Amino acid sequence: MAEPLSTVQVQQPSGASQPLAIYAPPPELRREPLVQNERGIGWISDAIAGVAEGKTPLWWWIAFLPSVILMTVCFSMILYLMSVGVGVWGPGHPVMWGWAIINFVWWIGIGHAGTLISAILFLLRQRWRTSINRAAEAMTIFAVMCAGIFPLIHIGRIWFGWWLFPIPNMYGIWPQFRSPLMWDVFAVSTYFTVSLLFWYMGLIPDLAVMRDRATSTLRKFFYGLFSLGWTGSNRHWSNYEKAYLILAGLSTPLVLSVHSIVSMDFSVSQLPGWHTTIFPPYFVAGAVFSGFGMVLTLLVPLRRLLKLEDIITVRHVELMCKVTLATGSIVGYAYAMEFFIAWYSGNPYERYAFINRAVGPYAWGYWIMISCNVITPQLFWFKKVRTNMVLVFILSIFVNIGMWFERFVIVVISLHRDFMPANWGYFRPTWVDILTYMGTFGLFFTFFLLFLRFVPIIAIAEVKGVTPQADPHHPLGGAKGGHH
Amino acid sequence: MKTIPPPCPVPDTGPKYWRSLDQLADTPEFREWAEREFPAGAGELTDPVTRRSFVKLMSASFLLAGVGGLAGCRRPIENIYPFSKMPEGYVHGVPKYYATARPTRRSAVPLLAKSNDGRPTKLEGNPHHPDSNGGTDTFTQASILNLYDPDRAIRFAQDGNNATPEAARDALSKIAADAQSSGGKGLCFLAEQSSSPSRLRLQQALGAKLPQAKWYEHEPVDFDINREAASLAFGRSVKPYFKIDQAKVIVSLDCDFIGSEEDAYINIRRFAKGRKLEKKDDSMSRLYIVEALMSQTGMNADHRLRLPASAVIQIAALLAGEILNQSGQSDASLASAIAKLVDQRTISDLNAQLKPTDAKSARKWSADFINKWAAECAQDLLRHRGRSLVLAGYRQPMAVHLIAHALNSALGNIDSTVVFHEVPAPKNGNIADLAGALNSGQVDTLVILGGNPAYTAPVDVKWADAQAKAKTVVRLGYYEDESFPAKGWNLPQAHFLESWGDARTADGTIVSIQPLIEPLFGGVTDLEVIARVGGLDKTTPYDIVRETFQAGTHGGEEDWKQFIHDGFLANSAYQSASVRLDASAVTQELASAEAVTVPGKDKLEVIFHRDYRVDDGSFNNNGWLQELPDPVTKMTWENTVLMSVQTAKDLGLYIHNRENNRLMVPLVKITVDGRDVVGPAWIQPGQADNTIGLALGYGRSNTGRVGRNSGYNAYSVRSTRHLHCSIGAKLAATGEKHHLSTTQDHWSMEGRPIVREATLKEFQQHPDFADSLSMEKPTPFAPLYPNPFDEAKKTGHHQWGMVIDLNSCVGCSACMTACQSENNVPIVGKYQVANNREMHWLRLDRYYTGDVEDPQVVTQPMLCQHCEAAPCENVCPVNATTHDQEGLNVMVYNRCVGTRYCSNNCPYKVRRFNFFDYNRRSLEQLQGPVYPTPLTSKSNGEWDLLRWFRDPDRGTKPADEWDMLKLSKNPDVTVRMRGVMEKCTFCVQRIQAAEITQKVKAGASGDVTVPNGSFKTACQQACPAEAIEFGNIADPESRVSQLKAQSRNYSVLEFLNTKPRTTYLARVRNPNPAMPDAYDQPESTVEFKQHNGGSEAGPAEMGAKKGAE
Repeated sequence: MAEPLSTVQVQQPSGASQPLAIYAPPPELRREPLVQNERGIGWISDAIAGVAEGKTPLWWWIAFLPSVILMTVCFSMILYLMSVGVGVWGPGHPVMWGWAIINFVWWIGIGHAGTLISAILFLLRQRWRTSINRAAEAMTIFAVMCAGIFPLIHIGRIWFGWWLFPIPNMYGIWPQFRSPLMWDVFAVSTYFTVSLLFWYMGLIPDLAVMRDRATSTLRKFFYGLFSLGWTGSNRHWSNYEKAYLILAGLSTPLVLSVHSIVSMDFSVSQLPGWHTTIFPPYFVAGAVFSGFGMVLTLLVPLRRLLKLEDIITVRHVELMCKVTLATGSIVGYAYAMEFFIAWYSGNPYERYAFINRAVGPYAWGYWIMISCNVITPQLFWFKKVRTNMVLVFILSIFVNIGMWFERFVIVVISLHRDFMPANWGYFRPTWVDILTYMGTFGLFFTFFLLFLRFVPIIAIAEVKGVTPQADPHHPLGGAKGGHH
Repeated sequence: MKTIPPPCPVPDTGPKYWRSLDQLADTPEFREWAEREFPAGAGELTDPVTRRSFVKLMSASFLLAGVGGLAGCRRPIENIYPFSKMPEGYVHGVPKYYATARPTRRSAVPLLAKSNDGRPTKLEGNPHHPDSNGGTDTFTQASILNLYDPDRAIRFAQDGNNATPEAARDALSKIAADAQSSGGKGLCFLAEQSSSPSRLRLQQALGAKLPQAKWYEHEPVDFDINREAASLAFGRSVKPYFKIDQAKVIVSLDCDFIGSEEDAYINIRRFAKGRKLEKKDDSMSRLYIVEALMSQTGMNADHRLRLPASAVIQIAALLAGEILNQSGQSDASLASAIAKLVDQRTISDLNAQLKPTDAKSARKWSADFINKWAAECAQDLLRHRGRSLVLAGYRQPMAVHLIAHALNSALGNIDSTVVFHEVPAPKNGNIADLAGALNSGQVDTLVILGGNPAYTAPVDVKWADAQAKAKTVVRLGYYEDESFPAKGWNLPQAHFLESWGDARTADGTIVSIQPLIEPLFGGVTDLEVIARVGGLDKTTPYDIVRETFQAGTHGGEEDWKQFIHDGFLANSAYQSASVRLDASAVTQELASAEAVTVPGKDKLEVIFHRDYRVDDGSFNNNGWLQELPDPVTKMTWENTVLMSVQTAKDLGLYIHNRENNRLMVPLVKITVDGRDVVGPAWIQPGQADNTIGLALGYGRSNTGRVGRNSGYNAYSVRSTRHLHCSIGAKLAATGEKHHLSTTQDHWSMEGRPIVREATLKEFQQHPDFADSLSMEKPTPFAPLYPNPFDEAKKTGHHQWGMVIDLNSCVGCSACMTACQSENNVPIVGKYQVANNREMHWLRLDRYYTGDVEDPQVVTQPMLCQHCEAAPCENVCPVNATTHDQEGLNVMVYNRCVGTRYCSNNCPYKVRRFNFFDYNRRSLEQLQGPVYPTPLTSKSNGEWDLLRWFRDPDRGTKPADEWDMLKLSKNPDVTVRMRGVMEKCTFCVQRIQAAEITQKVKAGASGDVTVPNGSFKTACQQACPAEAIEFGNIADPESRVSQLKAQSRNYSVLEFLNTKPRTTYLARVRNPNPAMPDAYDQPESTVEFKQHNGGSEAGPAEMGAKKGAE
């Protein structure tokens, strides 16, 4: 037996202290801990809650002010759009959907990572999810909010948007249940509701922590209000765990359904380039890909800025890179398969649609997509890349760009040259398109930055659960008579 | 006690046509009157009055105040007032039709005008007229918009200041009195051409009364050369009338007879008739054309030779050389005079220019290509003696026209395919003569009757200066435009729908022009002005026309009523004159023909052509025509400098260029005879090399809000010597770019079987060739849900469907304008067209196939196909587009929220979206790329939002526009608001009207099936070629069912299984196999083959193979 890693003093019931040697696990079992530097659970509480409690850092203000300005721009653009007409955007024949739908699908895709991390990884007992699930879920909610704006404002008569909901009315007219847009309304609203509930549920124990730590009456009141009287009793925990499991079970199919249904907006139509059965799985993979891309974009700098490197460790980042690599490869496969099927179908319209993607007037868009979505993730095969935080950050941005262009390719390139050459046209966004899209970043980051300042950005209770101390079999953990 | 409000004052000036309370409310008099109500009401308070009368008064006051917009905190109340005295037989909401006519240069279009509650809303051809099938042209369809043009001349103006009509009439009386005393010395008239018998009569009366008065006529696009040439060739004043349907072989010498020539709509009807195919053994005519520009006729030709316009005479002479020799009956001196015109060196130079640069297309070309072409064409003509026709275009010189007459004479076509009508020879000078007289101070009083000479006169005439030299100028004008006299009188001209008149159509039938509405702005007609200036007894147009009728027919009251009712005088057509070619006169004239210069890249040939949309500029302020894509170039809102691909290359111009989604083309400066003009360069495939096409009618310096800033002014380089064609022009890029708006960006059909074609031979061998180009249809199995229409269909009384015969359609676009007029389709402006947001429910797709230098052209009307399994329907989340049980794909505007998914899923892309509130935008806003929001923009010194709030219906339109706009709308069709999708409805309002009529008629019998052919859709009605057939496909006897049963019937994109109700009859070309440019298969079929496996089998062979299987 090798040298012990360390020796700790174990107190005997008799009161005597006895040294206990801790040996390293055999190499094949050795894993990097999920919380590094053997941080104690008290430190974890302090570190996470401290983000919301301490003095507002300067960088936060530097990020927040432009975000608020951008958000204002977003709302101004929407006001302008509503007062004049959808014509302030770029669409026209034959590209009737432009940036609005691209942005919608893009944001919805980003919104995928959160629930995937919190639900599917939870069910699959991926304990590493605990460090990132809270932030990812918040990201999901804000991204779905950004996404949800677009289908509403892109319609011609915004004031009748509620007609898409099955609200009983005196005319007895119902929405058209054959339309994928209808399914979209259900899918997205359900997804948003469940994600929000799931996120909030997970927050309750941590909000109670915040309440208990609060120093001002105001904070105490609000944290108290939202923690719903959480005391941390066993009964609470037991109910909580059950509810969490049920919600995770409920959310899991939603992760798959929402983007499948969004993909049906396209695949149910008969436009070459849209009318493909590969879309549902391919969209889900793409969504997870983009979601993880965005999580990386957010968390890689945050762990540094918030000094949470011990909780969101390099191992976490590596794992996320691996998910990105896997889903990115699926997406790349889907691209190849689309081409193959177009050729194999023997349908000249289909063939042309795909050839046009690669060599047509929008070829630049297609090749941006390919390089960002197919080539970029392949770099994650290399550990050196995965562990280089600057590189990961840059590559994650590429993923975001690539996924935006994927939707651009699908929406714009498919539409701009369809069946009849007489209809062919060229689409260009207007400044209103661009500013509205930029504006949603303002909206997103405003919410995200407020989230940072008011809500524990990491699930405190859950992270504690994956520390060695929480493991009764771990030398550091278990009910060994100590207290903390 | 009853308080009687003071009488409502009637304003002296301003509109008199629409006396709704809200409009009057805007006049100061009314406002004052309305305000006076209040003190009176206030006085009531102090009086010991009953509560009841006070309340009555106050409510009346509030009502008036609300209407007047004085206390405008609510939406304005609009009241509908019933007739106090109902006209007999009037049914509210049921339109009435009146026969009238639109006068054109030397002809007229017989019309039935639809009147809704006393305002004309739609024009249709008069199908009862002996020389009409009810079809019309784009100009006629759009001319109704001119009536409601808010920018038309609305006032009598003296020296540019407002004047009363009475003062204007006094001034005319004074001129008349002065002229009487001097016998008309120094009195000159400048008129537009006219076919009016009344005007002719007045002119004669004037000549008798004022023998020294002089009469001049000016038409910038003058078709009189047809009469001049015929008169010269046959030694008497005759005018040709072409029976194109009788001809089996037609040779056009630069004659755009189905496009820009006079009475093209009649020619289209006759041409289409000669090419109708019902059965496989039917014959069809063959069209050859030699021309420089790609014209509509060229688009429809079976053989087309592109040569500079000035070189067309060579072909004419080559043809004549062959034919005169072989016909054996011609005059030897004539034959030798024609032979002298042929210059083989010129021909070989031209031939060299025709040589294609790429080897692929070179297969057709040979060193003596032109000679061979002419020789074979001549042989074909000779084979069809008496059943052929040679036509010469108005832009061609006299010599070409004379050769054409000589050819027709030699071929025995006279009295068979061409007849000659005796017409009076006009005795008048031209505008250059008048300018000379003006400049030499011989003119005291100048009376200009219509037209816009300051804009259209040849530039060397310097008309604007000349016009100012007359001591008194009286000008009758439809607009206050370039010719508006700064000093003198400008009288507002009445629209033809506002005035009494008469005219003669192409065949000479006298047609009546009767007004459908009082002149909106008190306009006067040329008849009235002539009568007043001439001091004649009868000065009202009605009396004048009546008198002419009386003098011509000696008919009584009943005959007159009949004439007005029918719109034409039966049996009043010209008698055909028997003519013989005066060979010596022709020979003599040919001797003076100019030698042909072959244009080169530094001595370009410039051709001034009539525009398909704005004519000579008279329709410049017509939004429907401005936005109508040119039938050939598909360009909107302006004219371009047209040139061939090779010429652009030679001149170093890179044309097709996109910058920021804008079509940016180089601006080029063309120098003609020392003058220059700058315009945007554009490539026209099929144009002759080294020729430049300049369309007239744009670039107006003083026009209305629609025509402003559209195009360049080709008149500014058009001189008296070179009215049609000038050689030696130079072209240089200015280095600047210009933004163009076209409705169709892509030229090629990409080998897709969208328009299907075959040659006549193929059609005869394989009548089902159209079907053989279809793609394999997937068999639908296990559908997700049954198509609800399949069930609904069983309850329909009719099943509506449409067939469009591509063999008849020539692409004239009359259907597009008719649709726009019928269905209240808004115009969107140049920038919106550039964003592909034009609103036309019906569009004409134009594809070029084959060699880009010498393409074959096909056109296809494309409109909602009313698919039985409509892809648009199942994707709409709110059920806004659904099917009715009669097979119409109906659009519920009220329900539409504007997701635009339907448009994305429409394979035909025929749905149109209201991106803005186009109907409430002011004409000013047609110009800008981005529109102001009512939240921020200011206009009329008022915060826009406030106005929008007070009168949301008007939007940002100024009052004049708004009022005129309301009048022009078809009340049977919803005016769509922003944010909703719209599309062709198969004219559901007409279907409904017919069904209601039938239901009323059926009564208890229950026979509610609308009889076949009892109504037509607007596009079908307007089509002179009868290419569109609409009706009940459930009835096998209906014409539409019979057409659908024909072998050429196919649906576009049939493999999608959308089951369109609109199908097409494939097009058939009739090439001559002996020609050097003969083809076995149309280029579109060749392209289809190349794109589909490249098998050697054409559609016909494929069809045969399929049959064998």
